Amino acid sequence: MRNKTIQTTPDLSRRDFMKASAALGAMSLGVSTNKIFAAGSGKVRIGLIGCGGRGTHDATKCLNSSQNVELVAMGDTFGDRLESCRKRLKQNLGEKVKVTDDACFSGFDAYKNVLACDVDMVILTTTPHWRPMQLKAAVEAGKHVFMEKPVAVDPVGVRSVIASSELADKKGLTIVAGTQMRRISHLVAGIKSIHDGAIGELVSGQCVRLGGGMLGWGPKQRRPEWSDMEWQIRRWLFITWLSGDFIVEMHVHNLDVMNWAFNAHPVQCIGMGGRQVRTGPEYGNCYDHFAVEYEYPNGVRVEYMGSQIDGVTNRNDQRLVGTKGRAYTDFGRVVIEGPGKAEYAWDRVDPCIKQHADQIAAIREGKRLNEGRRIAESSLTAIMGRMSAYTGRALKWDWAMNASKLDLSPPKYEFGDLEMRPVAIPGKTQLI
Amino acid sequence: MKNKVMKTMPDLSRRDFIKASTALGAATLASSASRMFAAGSDKIRLGLIGCGGRGTYDTTNCLNAAENVELVAMGDLFADRLERCRSRLTEKLGDKVKVTNDTCFTGWDAHKKVLGCDVDLVILTEPPGFRPSHLRAAVEADKHVFMEKPVAVDPVGVRSVIESSKMADRKGLTIVAGTQSRKMAHLIEGMKRIHDGDIGEIISGQCVRLGGGMLTWSEQTKQRQPGWSDMEWQLRRWLFMTWLSGDFIVEMHIHNLDRMNWAMGAHPVQCIGMGGRQARTGPEYGNCYDHIAVEYEYPGGVRIEYMGSQIDKVTYRQDNRVIGTKGKAYTDSGNLIIEGDKPFKYDGPSPSPVIKQHADQIAAIRSGEHLNEGKRIAESTLTCIMGRMSAYTGRALKWDWAMNASKLDISPPKYEFGDLETRPVAIPGKTQLV
Repeated sequence: MRNKTIQTTPDLSRRDFMKASAALGAMSLGVSTNKIFAAGSGKVRIGLIGCGGRGTHDATKCLNSSQNVELVAMGDTFGDRLESCRKRLKQNLGEKVKVTDDACFSGFDAYKNVLACDVDMVILTTTPHWRPMQLKAAVEAGKHVFMEKPVAVDPVGVRSVIASSELADKKGLTIVAGTQMRRISHLVAGIKSIHDGAIGELVSGQCVRLGGGMLGWGPKQRRPEWSDMEWQIRRWLFITWLSGDFIVEMHVHNLDVMNWAFNAHPVQCIGMGGRQVRTGPEYGNCYDHFAVEYEYPNGVRVEYMGSQIDGVTNRNDQRLVGTKGRAYTDFGRVVIEGPGKAEYAWDRVDPCIKQHADQIAAIREGKRLNEGRRIAESSLTAIMGRMSAYTGRALKWDWAMNASKLDLSPPKYEFGDLEMRPVAIPGKTQLI
Repeated sequence: MKNKVMKTMPDLSRRDFIKASTALGAATLASSASRMFAAGSDKIRLGLIGCGGRGTYDTTNCLNAAENVELVAMGDLFADRLERCRSRLTEKLGDKVKVTNDTCFTGWDAHKKVLGCDVDLVILTEPPGFRPSHLRAAVEADKHVFMEKPVAVDPVGVRSVIESSKMADRKGLTIVAGTQSRKMAHLIEGMKRIHDGDIGEIISGQCVRLGGGMLTWSEQTKQRQPGWSDMEWQLRRWLFMTWLSGDFIVEMHIHNLDRMNWAMGAHPVQCIGMGGRQARTGPEYGNCYDHIAVEYEYPGGVRIEYMGSQIDKVTYRQDNRVIGTKGKAYTDSGNLIIEGDKPFKYDGPSPSPVIKQHADQIAAIRSGEHLNEGKRIAESTLTCIMGRMSAYTGRALKWDWAMNASKLDISPPKYEFGDLETRPVAIPGKTQLV
């Protein structure tokens, strides 16, 4: 199963058809894509790249979201992760999992091998560091992409994702991002009402997510046979080059809701943070708390406070303050206070199912659906907050988006020595 | 000069007169106090308790604030600090410094000995941890008080300051706090407009003060001297010891948070905070944090965010902003700008607020006017303390609980030069909310 060479499919697959059509240009290609799934129920063949907990979760939701969706290929850096995922999916989904030993790939090139299989769509759930290069490879290979948030850990990655998203548009490919908050009914309705003026002009906001130290996550004890690289990848959640730190990895959900409500991204920010509790080497180089003041267009300031610390008061809510009222949101509801008083409750429809159903419907109907730029912007929102906190320096969106050269990638991808980058120290860590 | 016994003044001093009058009750006493300085220029005799940099500074400003004010007694824990301060003050102020060797006191009782002298007003500029007990002793001794901010480091101290302030009212004594922002002309004008509704109803705000690691503070004490006990080391490095300074959110950023309370015309009802130390991690920085962020909730569910740090080489910021339904007001130490329906930019004169605060107090003493900022500064102090408590513990907490129920008292078991463990740096989720 390790590093298997892909089995070539002899028949003219849909993928091959698309490839053949590439010369026809973007518009016609889009139409071609439409035609392929015109029946509305054509089989969609899925490849899973990244077989961790989230990959298992997303593949399950995806296969359950629509009829005639099959998982046909899987890839992960580690064979053991792939095997346990495969077993669990098989248990959960039975016949829908059509993955053979020949379509399972491990190692750093696993994603290339999955992309070379006859799949229509891939789910990208490797650790966030790999998202930009894997998205690029997927789009270049003519695949529709579902990708988990965040989609980059640095500005260089963000720019790559935006370029790939533009390429996807040209190729008529769909991209959906795993920011499922965008599909929770109460947020959809509540934010629409905010956009319709229910609380007047937005003048302020707060985004707070506190608690949850993640101390029980992942393998804590390094095994003697693990190289530095393997140890870091196994502990990816706490290694900034892999996860982006928790403000990026986890709290991008919350910051994405603010961008959604404001219909904009911040123009600048200034942040602070540190690690006061998760200080052991098993927590890599991530912080455990951040606070960032984001400034949106027209001088509107939004404060973010986030932590991953056990035993503190837990909070997870967003609030928007307008000239005519306030809106409060959390996982379960949106409450509008003021003259436009209203409350929106969750309709119990699972947004994690809906996001896949929407994408598969769009693929079949040939509709444009591309969330790439939006999730890239939300990722950069979180990344710029982290960059400011790590360095103590205020920074502007335009600089981060266009000029920052920050690229956290390791010098090479191989299992061997890799020094752990030191924990950032504001005032010392350089803004790059 | 060390621990001198005070010289008893044989004449019936004004202080003795006030003491004699206490039986007459608060109202009469207040008017007695008024009458005493009715001439409007009677000599005011000043005692300085706490001869550090701020003590030297405040005394200079006080003696320069009004005519006929004299410094007659000084006290500090450390003789070297007192001597340095005395020679600097004598250099600057010449004849106004009437301190003799007999009215210089050092050691733990220095404040009591200054209070035992014939002084009308004392300046309290010891580290904040001592403020509640010194204020209490001063008011009990019938002295008017100018005290530096902050005025406590824990809720127990805040309650004591409020008690002492009430006692000062009963006795007709004035109390002024060193929150000089309150005397800044641009802020006074701006706050008036905010309170008059020029930006509508306040619905949000931010209070930001970032930068300045204070790494060069008290350079000579960075290296612990072999002869220093734990207690002396901590006192010499008081800025970085929470039990002495309250941490920087209390010690320094009280100015900024006091402005928010001023703008809001209220104190917060609850808060939740975070923080840590990421740059100032050496033992010479005691147990203080170097960054703290707090979400304060004021009445009506209005949230005000505070972000503060003391870290070098970061982007410096120091400004407050309040957002209303009809506009917003931006303030810093030099500007006040209102945008919205009624735009305004202050461009009037800016008389020195640190002179004005003393001039106002001396005028009030002489005219017998009521002037007592004790409760207000105690509330601003608690605003900061509750933010620190929340950041240290990671727990949300309510004003009423902090004010009335918290038992936090971070004073050391005893005041003597000897062993005293530096308390560990707080760890959110582990450090208990007390």
